[in-house]
Amino acid sequence: MGLKILTVDDSKTIRMIVKKAFRPYDCQIIEGENGVEGLSLAAKEKPDLIILDITMPVMNGAEMLAKMKEEPELKDIPVIMLTAEAGKDNVMKIVQMGVKDYMVKPFKGEQLIDRVTKIMPLAEKKGDSPKEGESGSKYFNLDGDIQMLAVPAKILRPTIVEVETQLKPKLKEMTGGGIKKMILDLSKTKETNVSLIKLIVTVLDNCQISGVKVLTVASAALGKELKDFQETGNIPIHFSIDDAKAAF
Amino acid sequence: MDLSNFDLPTFIRGATQEVFDTMLSMELSEQELTDFGDTSRIVGSVSLAGTASGTVNIHVSDSFACQITANMLGMELDEIESDDEVHDVIGELSNMIGGDLKSRLCDAGFPCELSIPSITSGKDFSIESKGWAVNETVCFQFEDHIALIEAYIKNGG
Repeated sequence: MGLKILTVDDSKTIRMIVKKAFRPYDCQIIEGENGVEGLSLAAKEKPDLIILDITMPVMNGAEMLAKMKEEPELKDIPVIMLTAEAGKDNVMKIVQMGVKDYMVKPFKGEQLIDRVTKIMPLAEKKGDSPKEGESGSKYFNLDGDIQMLAVPAKILRPTIVEVETQLKPKLKEMTGGGIKKMILDLSKTKETNVSLIKLIVTVLDNCQISGVKVLTVASAALGKELKDFQETGNIPIHFSIDDAKAAF
Repeated sequence: MDLSNFDLPTFIRGATQEVFDTMLSMELSEQELTDFGDTSRIVGSVSLAGTASGTVNIHVSDSFACQITANMLGMELDEIESDDEVHDVIGELSNMIGGDLKSRLCDAGFPCELSIPSITSGKDFSIESKGWAVNETVCFQFEDHIALIEAYIKNGG
């Protein structure tokens, strides 16, 4: 049975970001809008983890945590605090409250997952691990012993989120299966924008961490544009899939 | 430390650029101050109260607010369901930028509290703030959109 995670935040935006971050994992996400709702849900659902905002109307996160600590049934539930304030005093206050960890906004979903996995293991959703042709893993395709990652003509923020969400589980699956090569196929990509650069950097960084060798394929025009960016200027570009395969 | 020595211009620029970069993958560039004319816009505001008091406003056009919302929530523009979603995202942005400013003030010896965000929307309106010790207005550009950030601080009561 998956983990039960309670996210308590007055901002629907943050609750959605939290929900999205946990989407690939076997978790049930429960939402509360303030400390009062959060306390009530915590008592009813007995979650495995609470992700708790500090600044909220009705009852703030600090008050909710203090009340939880008075309840024998709730006091040991691990809590990760979210705060927009990184000041020394605020951080000290949070640490003294007895939370497991805290995150300062702005943060990315994957940073939250990294923090959570330091507290408890997260299992990937059964039947949700990337399979070729399925939605969400549509960019990945295994070609022999090479994992292809083909991205669309125009990269927008949602594309990055989709690829990022799938990338870590995919790399885990690859390395577990002895696949150590990836081709980042940008041959369809026509437009260079900030999202594309971020996507390339994310893929390269994650592959490096996982010990996967990645080669990049792009058109000559795109390759030339990528040379103008500090982040991608030194990346060797291959102009066809066959060239990249031969380079392995 | 005197509030007049507080480096508001650097802090407000840094916080805004970091929030847009991290949460929205939008790299902002600073541009000359401009106004929105009669373009319909949304303003997210947070207030600070304590040893220092202040306010932070972030102005964006309706169309930029929708783009920001889509990026923040990882969706396409036509998937945005309501104004509430857009308002919540702009409020959260002002909370993050205001939260950073609050932390800087607390670290500089001016403990204060941060309000929850409020939203103003419409067109052909102005927000006037007077009597502040330090203030900074900065205009950023992303593609053909602009974001105007105003921050005002003074010693608290």
